[in-house]
Amino acid sequence: MADAITVPQVQPLQPALRFLRVIPGVLLLAAVGYAGKLLEQNVGAYAKGHHWTFPNIEYVLWAIVLGLVISNTVGVPEIFRTGVATYEFWLKAGIVLLGARFLLGDILKLGGVSLILVAIEIVGSLAFMTFLGRLFKLKPKLTTLLAVGSAVCGVSAIIATKGAIEADDEDSSFSIAAILALGALALFTFPLIGHALHLSDRAYGLWAGLGVDNTAEATAAGALYSDAAGKLAVLVKSTRNAMIGFVVLAYAIYWAGKGQAQAVGNKAAFLWQKFPKFVLGFLLISVLATYHFFNKEQVGALANLSRWAFLLTFAGVGLRTNFSDMRKQGLRPFAVGAIGEVVIAGFTLALVYGAGKIFGW
Amino acid sequence: MSAEVEAGKTASRWKLSLDTWAVLVAFLLALLVRIGVFKHVPW
Repeated sequence: MADAITVPQVQPLQPALRFLRVIPGVLLLAAVGYAGKLLEQNVGAYAKGHHWTFPNIEYVLWAIVLGLVISNTVGVPEIFRTGVATYEFWLKAGIVLLGARFLLGDILKLGGVSLILVAIEIVGSLAFMTFLGRLFKLKPKLTTLLAVGSAVCGVSAIIATKGAIEADDEDSSFSIAAILALGALALFTFPLIGHALHLSDRAYGLWAGLGVDNTAEATAAGALYSDAAGKLAVLVKSTRNAMIGFVVLAYAIYWAGKGQAQAVGNKAAFLWQKFPKFVLGFLLISVLATYHFFNKEQVGALANLSRWAFLLTFAGVGLRTNFSDMRKQGLRPFAVGAIGEVVIAGFTLALVYGAGKIFGW
Repeated sequence: MSAEVEAGKTASRWKLSLDTWAVLVAFLLALLVRIGVFKHVPW
């Protein structure tokens, strides 16, 4: 009993300390993101004032590039790292708030189409990545991690699967490094290819949501193209994220069947535990907006709050990407990931073209 | 079962995921906008 009394005396300090530890990094995210916003406004105006031909570079790209420069030159000091890692939190809060800009009817219409495309994308990507992993003789669990990372939702899917199939730390860090490096490449190549192919906002948004692995990179790749494409990329990516529980459950059962992972007890509880709750939050805010719980000005305010949250996310994407760390992880998983990503990008682009023909976009 | 393990189990039972925290913060912000605490959010 004496022990039971002493433990609560220690516990209350921890959340407060944890909160204090994130402040420097969050301030860094805000500073880098805001600098990106200022650069967008001022560089364009300066170039115009001096009659220079200079492309209009959006704050999204400035924030990511500034973050990349810091991370790959001076590095991110230890004091900022905990706070920088909160970019995932801002991403998810931003997606929930973005729900205010979607009417439920749009979600059902677009979500229905994207659900079909997502199902095809997931099955095709899992099958192809598994084939590639076997061809390159990667360890089976490493192949599984790369497959779920490419097919579903990048790092979150890898972390969720790692626990469920009891994969090694080494395998998961290989897969995470490969997926992050390829996500950084996709961020810059997707908008260029989209413009080269003159894709509409709808086609590009669908493609970015289907083809880019990590939610942060998919959101940024969409926003780099246009506001409308960014909105759609988030919707499609969230549909992909919603599938995570089913895919992880299937792999957990497969590996448990081979005696290399613990059996799954309550499947419904497992699915709920893995389900991304921010997708529910996004839908709920959208329902509220559809039934006029918010007036027009309030929807505008929520949309701007969502933009501020994404600003911190984009700064975080740059700040957490360190190319020399990624190089240390080895070439083979990266090669498998790279070949897989190129094929998946082509496959999802073909899906988008096909859907465009069927639905007459 | 030691007190530490028991305390750990209780803590993890009540620990919210990052997702859930993000949803709660977003809803709090939406509520503050709805009741007029944040009337205008500039961009």
